Amino acid sequence: MADNEEFISEFLVEASESLDQLDQDLVALEKQPHDSDRLASIFRTVHTIKGTCGFFGFTKLSTLSHHGEHLLGLLRDGKISFNKTLASLLLELVDAIRTFLSSIESTGKEGDTSFSDLCQRLDGACVSTDTDSLIQEQTSASSDTNSIHQIDQGINQKSMPAHDQIPTSSVVNEQPQNDNSDLTRKPDSTRKTATESGDKKSHPANTLDATIRVDVQLLDTIVDLVGELVLARNQLRTTVTDEPALLDAVNRIHTVTGELQEVAMKTRMAPIEQLFNKFPRIVRDVATACGKEVSLHVDGADTELDRTLIEKTRDPLTHLIRNAIDHGIEPVHTRRAADKPSSGQISLRAFQESGQVTIEVSDDGAGISVDAVRKKAVESGLVTNDAAHDMSDERIFQFIFEPGFSTAHAVTNISGRGVGMDVVRTNIESIGGTIDISSQRGIGTVVRVRIPLTLAIIPALIVSSGNERLAIPQSYIQELVALREYGKSHVIEGLEGSPVLRLRDRLIPVVYLDRWLGLRTWKERPTTGTVVVVKVDNHEFGLVVDAVTTAEDHTSHATETTGLWFIVVKAISSLLAPMGIYSGATVMGDGSVVLILDLRGITMSADIPAHTRRGGDLQSTSEELSEFVKESARYLVCETHYGRRVAVPLNQVQRLENFLQSEIDPAGNSCFVKRDGELTQLIDPDRILHTSEKLEKEPTDSSVVGVILPHELGNKAIAVRRIIDVETGHGSLEKTATKSGLLGTLLVGDSATEVLDIIAASQWSEESPLS
Amino acid sequence: MNSIVMNTSEERTDQKRCCTFLIEDTCFAIESDNVTEVLQRGVINKVPLAAPAISGLLNLRGRIVPAIDLRIFLEYPPATHSIKQISLIVDISNEWYCFLVDKLLDVKAFDPHQVVPPTNNSSSALTGVLPDTDHLIHFLSPEKILKNLLDIRTESLSVG
Repeated sequence: MADNEEFISEFLVEASESLDQLDQDLVALEKQPHDSDRLASIFRTVHTIKGTCGFFGFTKLSTLSHHGEHLLGLLRDGKISFNKTLASLLLELVDAIRTFLSSIESTGKEGDTSFSDLCQRLDGACVSTDTDSLIQEQTSASSDTNSIHQIDQGINQKSMPAHDQIPTSSVVNEQPQNDNSDLTRKPDSTRKTATESGDKKSHPANTLDATIRVDVQLLDTIVDLVGELVLARNQLRTTVTDEPALLDAVNRIHTVTGELQEVAMKTRMAPIEQLFNKFPRIVRDVATACGKEVSLHVDGADTELDRTLIEKTRDPLTHLIRNAIDHGIEPVHTRRAADKPSSGQISLRAFQESGQVTIEVSDDGAGISVDAVRKKAVESGLVTNDAAHDMSDERIFQFIFEPGFSTAHAVTNISGRGVGMDVVRTNIESIGGTIDISSQRGIGTVVRVRIPLTLAIIPALIVSSGNERLAIPQSYIQELVALREYGKSHVIEGLEGSPVLRLRDRLIPVVYLDRWLGLRTWKERPTTGTVVVVKVDNHEFGLVVDAVTTAEDHTSHATETTGLWFIVVKAISSLLAPMGIYSGATVMGDGSVVLILDLRGITMSADIPAHTRRGGDLQSTSEELSEFVKESARYLVCETHYGRRVAVPLNQVQRLENFLQSEIDPAGNSCFVKRDGELTQLIDPDRILHTSEKLEKEPTDSSVVGVILPHELGNKAIAVRRIIDVETGHGSLEKTATKSGLLGTLLVGDSATEVLDIIAASQWSEESPLS
Repeated sequence: MNSIVMNTSEERTDQKRCCTFLIEDTCFAIESDNVTEVLQRGVINKVPLAAPAISGLLNLRGRIVPAIDLRIFLEYPPATHSIKQISLIVDISNEWYCFLVDKLLDVKAFDPHQVVPPTNNSSSALTGVLPDTDHLIHFLSPEKILKNLLDIRTESLSVG
């Protein structure tokens, strides 16, 4: 029997595919009960399963399918007509066969259940038709076939008559496969007819033609090898000679390798049809269970995506569809009252869009009330009342994905236990996807799921930081913000000890990637750069990098479009994966290895607060600070120890204090004085302005005036030699291009004065001792 | 003591083979069964925040292989420019690793029974020593090296 194992596993694969097909066909037949081609196809499928499992000696399964086959035979011959009850019964048969198959797959045996009850009901369905037609069927089965379906000849002539003559109204445990001579012949003939008919069929359902089964690992190996070929090609191109013949060959290799890579990548792809085909059955079952009428419309089933992703989107999509039927589509009477067609409509639409696959699940049901979601969000404490009011509907609907959030009034056994949507979002995000909802009360709801085409090649930004290049997956990236000199549009401020970026109305924590990765000390880092704003779950933060790299050569693995690279993701060693900083690596066109940042891991290691901690108090502090700058028309004009004239906006000055030189303690790179039992850091404006190196070099005076800064900036004071006056600023601020820590130059009183940017200045001196 | 290092042609069934190499002036060895190739040190891309002994990642014909500098791992000073390091590519349960050494000496047959296990410190990557004609061969276990590196990182993470 050992030889059989291979055949059995082949049978199991084929049979489970057949069963999926049966699901679809039965649901379709329910809608068009007179589709005789489809009925014939269903009959053949059940017949094939019966024949093959008989061959392997699975008697219970064979018996069960025989009962089903008999009923289908009557249906096909028009002796009884198809109806909803029969559809349910036959779908039950499909499930029963599935149970057998999974038992065979796991244990190699059929299991204990024999489904005799189901057999009885299948037979009952046959008997319930009038006896005349039953008798007629018995006599005509062998002669009548030609008129019914030509393609079926093979089956009918060879194996049908033998079984159809067996009295089927009793539940005898007949074993037609005891006859061995019959058996050996049967699988061959039935299988052949099945394929032949598949070819001729007008229905597009059978996609198995012209395809073969290949081990997925083998395909992955091919993809890897092609990757190596691409690299070898790139090396070849850089060492190319003037020899025309060789140049020609290299160019050919270049083209062919490129195409080969594309084709190899396609082997990983499969149409989403594989997944969509399961949904008609689910829709039917759920709709029946809810007592609703629902039809499913599928569009774009030929959209291709990575086969590993298809499997991973199955659960989330199933959940969305269930939700749509259970909560979205209204009961028939409500729909009629609302002047809608009594049958609800669920649409599944898949299409490719900018390197991603979008799957839309829409319904024409009751829709979700934005106000209800907003109210619930406020009640659950997810957002303040005021903030909720200012949010766009889109943002409000995102709350639906929060754990435990449900606006459904009734909990049904299908869905609505409040655990669904957050799991859906987690699942989608785990494969680099996003999800959003839009809905209109009374019109319906659309849930849009966007997932990458593949996990093997991802779009990413290649950034440079220190001297390293790193990749950031695009799926996390919200936006890029150019970071210019202090005092210009986007500034990083110090707030409660951690740097933040003010972006429109929000404050976003930032991580200096170079410093965080230990690539460079604070002093070495340039004042310009780019902030890559990323969002991981509810954590939004900025990664400060030196620059975003664009593709410098087109021979590379990664092609560049609009700054994005398509990189081939490779696993990094199990030695590095536990670090939680890198999710993989890729090989660039020049053969160098670039690490892919694991943003989820970084969020945790860098201790980025979730967005809920933003907003409130943090935000108001920042706004106050910006008000200081805006409204200051009067300035405190001081002279530094090196004789420079500087101005501090007066409303940023808490008070002034004199310190003796002897009270000042240098510690590290900074100087401190003791005030009210606490240490206050002295900021030397000369150092910010690069006029001197250290405070203690201060040449003459023995006392220092400390301009104490507001509490929000911590215990900080600006140390100057003397206060000149308080004067009014005139005209507009002349921004200085290079100096950080300066807002610019302004006419204060009657001479040009440099205005200190105390926010940047306080941060500057706070950060430097850390590095 | 007899010389137990023999010519490979006289190899007996209970014998194993090892790759011997130098770090500074000390002779080390790893069993050569899993050594798949030996290369000049190529371009190695740094991995920020990785353990110091992990020099980085190298691209070996499209495969991304972590490189471990045995000098650093064994707490020798970092290699100077005068040392042309050699990469030993080792296959450890289907993952490739690159071990950087100063100089490759030989592939030798040895009798595992002659290897003297270390008296204590069983967690160390040193699995034993074997006296050779003119010096001692220190046997290293690549698996234990990896395990040590993983442990180091776990510690440093829990501290930081």
